Amino acid sequence: MKTSLLKTVSKIALVLIPAITFSMAATAHDPKMHVKKAGKADCSKMSHSKMDMKDPVVIAMMKKCKKQAKAAHAKMDHSKISKKMDHNKTKKIDDKSNKKEGHQHH
Amino acid sequence: MKIIKSLLLLIALTIGTTAIVMYSGIVDVAADEPHSDFVYWLLEETRKNSIKKAAQHIQVPNLEDPELLLMGGADYEFMCSSCHLKPGQSQSDMSVGLYPAPPNLAVSNDEHKGHEHGNDIQAERNNFWVIKHGIKASGMPAWGKTHDDQRIWAMVAFIKRLPTLSPEQYQILTAVE
Repeated sequence: MKTSLLKTVSKIALVLIPAITFSMAATAHDPKMHVKKAGKADCSKMSHSKMDMKDPVVIAMMKKCKKQAKAAHAKMDHSKISKKMDHNKTKKIDDKSNKKEGHQHH
Repeated sequence: MKIIKSLLLLIALTIGTTAIVMYSGIVDVAADEPHSDFVYWLLEETRKNSIKKAAQHIQVPNLEDPELLLMGGADYEFMCSSCHLKPGQSQSDMSVGLYPAPPNLAVSNDEHKGHEHGNDIQAERNNFWVIKHGIKASGMPAWGKTHDDQRIWAMVAFIKRLPTLSPEQYQILTAVE
Protein backbone atom coordinates (compact mmCIF):
# COMPACT_ATOMS: atom_id res chain seq x y z
CA MET A 1 0.00 0.00 0.00
CA LYS A 2 2.75 2.36 1.07
CA THR A 3 4.90 1.58 -1.97
CA SER A 4 2.05 2.28 -4.38
CA LEU A 5 1.38 5.59 -2.64
CA LEU A 6 5.07 6.46 -2.89
CA LYS A 7 5.07 5.57 -6.58
CA THR A 8 2.03 7.79 -7.23
CA VAL A 9 3.58 10.72 -5.34
CA SER A 10 6.87 10.36 -7.20
CA LYS A 11 5.02 10.22 -10.55
CA ILE A 12 3.10 13.38 -9.70
CA ALA A 13 6.34 15.06 -8.62
CA LEU A 14 8.01 14.01 -11.88
CA VAL A 15 5.25 15.71 -13.87
CA LEU A 16 4.73 18.76 -11.65
CA ILE A 17 8.33 19.83 -10.99
CA PRO A 18 9.34 20.25 -14.67
CA ALA A 19 5.95 21.80 -15.47
CA ILE A 20 6.31 24.43 -12.74
CA THR A 21 9.96 25.09 -13.65
CA PHE A 22 9.16 25.63 -17.33
CA SER A 23 6.10 27.80 -16.61
CA MET A 24 8.22 30.01 -14.30
CA ALA A 25 10.85 30.39 -16.98
CA ALA A 26 8.13 31.50 -19.37
CA THR A 27 6.94 34.22 -16.98
CA ALA A 28 10.41 35.85 -16.77
CA HIS A 29 9.14 38.68 -18.80
CA ASP A 30 10.12 40.15 -22.08
CA PRO A 31 9.14 43.73 -23.10
CA LYS A 32 6.83 42.19 -25.71
CA MET A 33 4.67 40.89 -22.87
CA HIS A 34 3.72 44.49 -22.14
CA VAL A 35 2.18 44.98 -25.54
CA LYS A 36 -1.28 43.72 -24.66
CA LYS A 37 -1.58 45.92 -21.61
CA ALA A 38 -0.06 49.10 -22.99
CA GLY A 39 -1.90 51.78 -24.88
CA LYS A 40 -0.55 53.61 -27.91
CA ALA A 41 1.44 56.80 -27.51
CA ASP A 42 -0.80 59.85 -27.74
CA CYS A 43 1.40 61.91 -30.04
CA SER A 44 -1.30 64.49 -30.79
CA LYS A 45 -0.45 66.32 -27.56
CA MET A 46 3.16 67.01 -28.57
CA SER A 47 3.70 70.74 -29.00
CA HIS A 48 6.67 71.17 -31.34
CA SER A 49 7.04 74.91 -30.66
CA LYS A 50 8.19 74.44 -27.06
CA MET A 51 10.55 71.55 -27.78
CA ASP A 52 14.31 71.54 -27.44
CA MET A 53 15.33 69.23 -30.27
CA LYS A 54 18.59 68.32 -28.53
CA ASP A 55 16.87 67.09 -25.36
CA PRO A 56 17.03 63.25 -25.10
CA VAL A 57 13.40 63.21 -23.87
CA VAL A 58 12.25 65.07 -27.00
CA ILE A 59 14.36 62.86 -29.28
CA ALA A 60 12.93 59.75 -27.61
CA MET A 61 9.35 61.02 -28.00
CA MET A 62 9.94 61.87 -31.67
CA LYS A 63 11.36 58.39 -32.28
CA LYS A 64 8.39 56.74 -30.57
CA CYS A 65 5.83 58.76 -32.52
CA LYS A 66 7.66 58.32 -35.84
CA LYS A 67 7.80 54.55 -35.32
CA GLN A 68 4.11 54.47 -34.40
CA ALA A 69 3.15 56.54 -37.46
CA LYS A 70 5.21 54.25 -39.73
CA ALA A 71 3.52 51.18 -38.25
CA ALA A 72 0.09 52.74 -38.81
CA HIS A 73 1.03 53.62 -42.41
CA ALA A 74 2.29 50.09 -43.08
CA LYS A 75 -1.08 48.69 -42.04
CA MET A 76 -2.72 50.83 -44.71
CA ASP A 77 -0.38 49.69 -47.53
CA HIS A 78 -2.64 49.70 -50.58
CA SER A 79 -0.15 47.98 -52.85
CA LYS A 80 -0.37 44.89 -50.66
CA ILE A 81 -4.16 45.00 -50.72
CA SER A 82 -4.27 45.19 -54.54
CA LYS A 83 -1.78 42.28 -54.81
CA LYS A 84 -4.01 40.10 -52.70
CA MET A 85 -7.03 40.81 -54.89
CA ASP A 86 -7.32 38.22 -57.67
CA HIS A 87 -8.59 40.19 -60.63
CA ASN A 88 -8.87 37.07 -62.82
CA LYS A 89 -11.62 35.78 -60.58
CA THR A 90 -13.46 39.08 -60.65
CA LYS A 91 -13.30 38.99 -64.48
CA LYS A 92 -14.75 35.47 -64.52
CA ILE A 93 -17.53 36.58 -62.21
CA ASP A 94 -18.18 39.53 -64.48
CA ASP A 95 -18.24 37.24 -67.53
CA LYS A 96 -20.67 34.85 -65.84
CA SER A 97 -23.00 37.66 -64.82
CA ASN A 98 -22.80 39.09 -68.35
CA LYS A 99 -23.63 35.65 -69.83
CA LYS A 100 -26.59 35.30 -67.49
CA GLU A 101 -27.79 38.71 -68.46
CA GLY A 102 -27.28 37.70 -72.11
CA HIS A 103 -29.42 34.54 -71.65
CA GLN A 104 -32.14 36.56 -70.05
CA HIS A 105 -32.23 38.85 -73.10
CA HIS A 106 -32.71 35.87 -75.39
CA MET B 1 37.48 35.35 36.73
CA LYS B 2 34.95 37.94 37.90
CA ILE B 3 35.07 39.66 34.50
CA ILE B 4 34.40 36.37 32.69
CA LYS B 5 31.41 35.65 34.95
CA SER B 6 30.00 39.15 34.28
CA LEU B 7 30.51 38.74 30.56
CA LEU B 8 28.77 35.36 30.52
CA LEU B 9 25.88 36.83 32.54
CA LEU B 10 25.60 39.72 30.05
CA ILE B 11 25.56 37.33 27.07
CA ALA B 12 22.92 35.15 28.77
CA LEU B 13 20.80 38.23 29.53
CA THR B 14 21.06 39.47 25.92
CA ILE B 15 20.10 36.07 24.49
CA GLY B 16 17.27 35.75 27.03
CA THR B 17 15.85 39.22 26.27
CA THR B 18 16.05 38.58 22.51
CA ALA B 19 14.26 35.24 22.93
CA ILE B 20 11.50 36.85 25.05
CA VAL B 21 10.97 39.61 22.44
CA MET B 22 10.94 37.05 19.60
CA TYR B 23 8.65 34.43 21.11
CA SER B 24 6.26 36.59 23.19
CA GLY B 25 4.77 38.20 20.06
CA ILE B 26 4.93 41.70 21.54
CA VAL B 27 6.49 43.18 18.39
CA ASP B 28 3.78 44.63 16.14
CA VAL B 29 4.65 43.78 12.52
CA ALA B 30 1.53 45.40 10.99
CA ALA B 31 2.36 47.67 8.06
CA ASP B 32 -0.29 50.19 9.17
CA GLU B 33 1.43 50.66 12.55
CA PRO B 34 4.61 52.76 12.10
CA HIS B 35 7.89 52.10 13.91
CA SER B 36 8.90 54.31 16.81
CA ASP B 37 11.13 57.21 15.79
CA PHE B 38 14.19 55.43 17.20
CA VAL B 39 13.56 52.14 15.38
CA TYR B 40 12.76 54.02 12.15
CA TRP B 41 16.01 55.99 12.41
CA LEU B 42 17.95 52.80 13.18
CA LEU B 43 16.57 50.95 10.14
CA GLU B 44 16.79 53.96 7.84
CA GLU B 45 20.44 54.69 8.67
CA THR B 46 21.32 51.00 8.29
CA ARG B 47 19.61 50.85 4.88
CA LYS B 48 21.12 54.11 3.64
CA ASN B 49 24.70 53.23 4.62
CA SER B 50 24.42 49.67 3.38
CA ILE B 51 23.31 50.82 -0.11
CA LYS B 52 25.92 53.58 -0.22
CA LYS B 53 28.73 51.15 0.62
CA ALA B 54 27.55 48.43 -1.77
CA ALA B 55 27.05 50.85 -4.67
CA GLN B 56 30.10 53.08 -4.30
CA HIS B 57 32.25 51.41 -6.99
CA ILE B 58 29.56 50.95 -9.64
CA GLN B 59 30.53 52.52 -12.97
CA VAL B 60 27.73 54.73 -14.28
CA PRO B 61 27.37 54.61 -18.10
CA ASN B 62 26.14 57.49 -20.29
CA LEU B 63 22.44 57.82 -19.43
CA GLU B 64 21.61 60.46 -22.06
CA ASP B 65 20.81 57.98 -24.85
CA PRO B 66 17.16 58.46 -25.97
CA GLU B 67 16.87 54.69 -26.57
CA LEU B 68 17.47 54.12 -22.85
CA LEU B 69 14.53 56.40 -22.05
CA LEU B 70 12.26 54.39 -24.35
CA MET B 71 13.38 51.05 -22.96
CA GLY B 72 13.31 52.23 -19.35
CA GLY B 73 9.99 54.03 -19.73
CA ALA B 74 8.06 50.92 -20.68
CA ASP B 75 9.63 48.93 -17.84
CA TYR B 76 9.03 51.71 -15.30
CA GLU B 77 5.33 51.90 -16.21
CA PHE B 78 4.79 48.19 -15.65
CA MET B 79 7.24 47.44 -12.85
CA CYS B 80 7.56 50.59 -10.76
CA SER B 81 4.78 53.14 -11.29
CA SER B 82 2.18 51.38 -9.12
CA CYS B 83 4.39 52.04 -6.05
CA HIS B 84 6.68 54.90 -7.11
CA LEU B 85 3.97 56.88 -8.95
CA LYS B 86 4.06 58.90 -12.18
CA PRO B 87 3.72 62.57 -13.16
CA GLY B 88 0.38 64.01 -12.08
CA GLN B 89 -0.21 61.26 -9.50
CA SER B 90 0.23 61.89 -5.76
CA GLN B 91 -0.67 58.46 -4.37
CA SER B 92 -1.76 54.91 -5.20
CA ASP B 93 -3.04 51.92 -3.22
CA MET B 94 0.51 50.59 -3.04
CA SER B 95 2.19 53.88 -2.11
CA VAL B 96 -0.31 54.36 0.72
CA GLY B 97 -0.36 50.76 1.93
CA LEU B 98 3.33 49.85 1.91
CA TYR B 99 5.51 50.49 4.94
CA PRO B 100 8.07 51.97 4.72
CA ALA B 101 6.31 54.10 2.07
CA PRO B 102 8.02 53.80 -1.34
CA PRO B 103 9.55 57.12 -2.44
CA ASN B 104 7.66 59.16 -5.03
CA LEU B 105 10.10 59.08 -7.96
CA ALA B 106 8.03 61.50 -10.02
CA VAL B 107 9.25 64.38 -7.84
CA SER B 108 12.85 65.60 -7.62
CA ASN B 109 15.29 64.25 -5.02
CA ASP B 110 15.21 67.57 -3.17
CA GLU B 111 11.51 67.11 -2.47
CA HIS B 112 12.00 63.70 -0.80
CA LYS B 113 11.52 64.26 2.89
CA GLY B 114 13.61 62.53 5.54
CA HIS B 115 16.55 61.31 3.49
CA GLU B 116 19.34 62.59 1.26
CA HIS B 117 20.58 61.16 -2.02
CA GLY B 118 24.12 62.52 -2.16
CA ASN B 119 25.36 63.80 -5.52
CA ASP B 120 23.81 62.81 -8.86
CA ILE B 121 26.36 60.09 -9.64
CA GLN B 122 25.90 58.48 -6.22
CA ALA B 123 22.09 58.70 -6.62
CA GLU B 124 22.35 56.85 -9.96
CA ARG B 125 24.62 54.21 -8.45
CA ASN B 126 22.18 53.77 -5.56
CA ASN B 127 19.20 53.51 -7.91
CA PHE B 128 20.96 50.87 -10.02
CA TRP B 129 21.91 48.82 -6.96
CA VAL B 130 18.44 49.03 -5.39
CA ILE B 131 16.67 48.06 -8.63
CA LYS B 132 19.06 45.16 -9.21
CA HIS B 133 19.25 43.77 -5.68
CA GLY B 134 16.03 44.98 -4.02
CA ILE B 135 15.70 45.75 -0.30
CA LYS B 136 14.85 43.11 2.28
CA ALA B 137 11.43 43.31 3.99
CA SER B 138 10.50 46.52 2.21
CA GLY B 139 8.44 45.33 -0.77
CA MET B 140 11.25 46.30 -3.19
CA PRO B 141 12.03 43.27 -5.40
CA ALA B 142 15.44 42.32 -6.82
CA TRP B 143 14.76 42.95 -10.51
CA GLY B 144 18.29 41.77 -11.33
CA LYS B 145 17.08 38.18 -11.11
CA THR B 146 14.99 38.59 -14.26
CA HIS B 147 16.48 41.68 -15.97
CA ASP B 148 19.99 42.28 -17.33
CA ASP B 149 22.13 45.29 -16.38
CA GLN B 150 21.29 47.17 -19.59
CA ARG B 151 17.55 47.08 -18.81
CA ILE B 152 18.25 48.22 -15.25
CA TRP B 153 20.44 51.13 -16.46
CA ALA B 154 17.61 52.08 -18.83
CA MET B 155 15.29 52.32 -15.83
CA VAL B 156 17.88 54.42 -13.99
CA ALA B 157 18.09 56.74 -17.02
CA PHE B 158 14.31 57.05 -17.12
CA ILE B 159 14.05 57.68 -13.36
CA LYS B 160 16.68 60.42 -13.70
CA ARG B 161 14.43 62.33 -16.11
CA LEU B 162 11.10 61.34 -14.55
CA PRO B 163 10.68 64.41 -12.26
CA THR B 164 11.02 66.68 -15.31
CA LEU B 165 8.33 64.92 -17.37
CA SER B 166 4.77 66.14 -17.88
CA PRO B 167 1.95 63.54 -17.80
CA GLU B 168 1.74 63.80 -21.63
CA GLN B 169 5.46 63.20 -22.10
CA TYR B 170 5.29 60.29 -19.66
CA GLN B 171 2.42 58.72 -21.63
CA ILE B 172 4.36 58.88 -24.90
CA LEU B 173 7.62 57.54 -23.46
CA THR B 174 6.01 54.64 -21.61
CA ALA B 175 3.57 53.49 -24.31
CA VAL B 176 4.51 50.32 -26.17
CA GLU B 177 3.83 50.41 -29.90
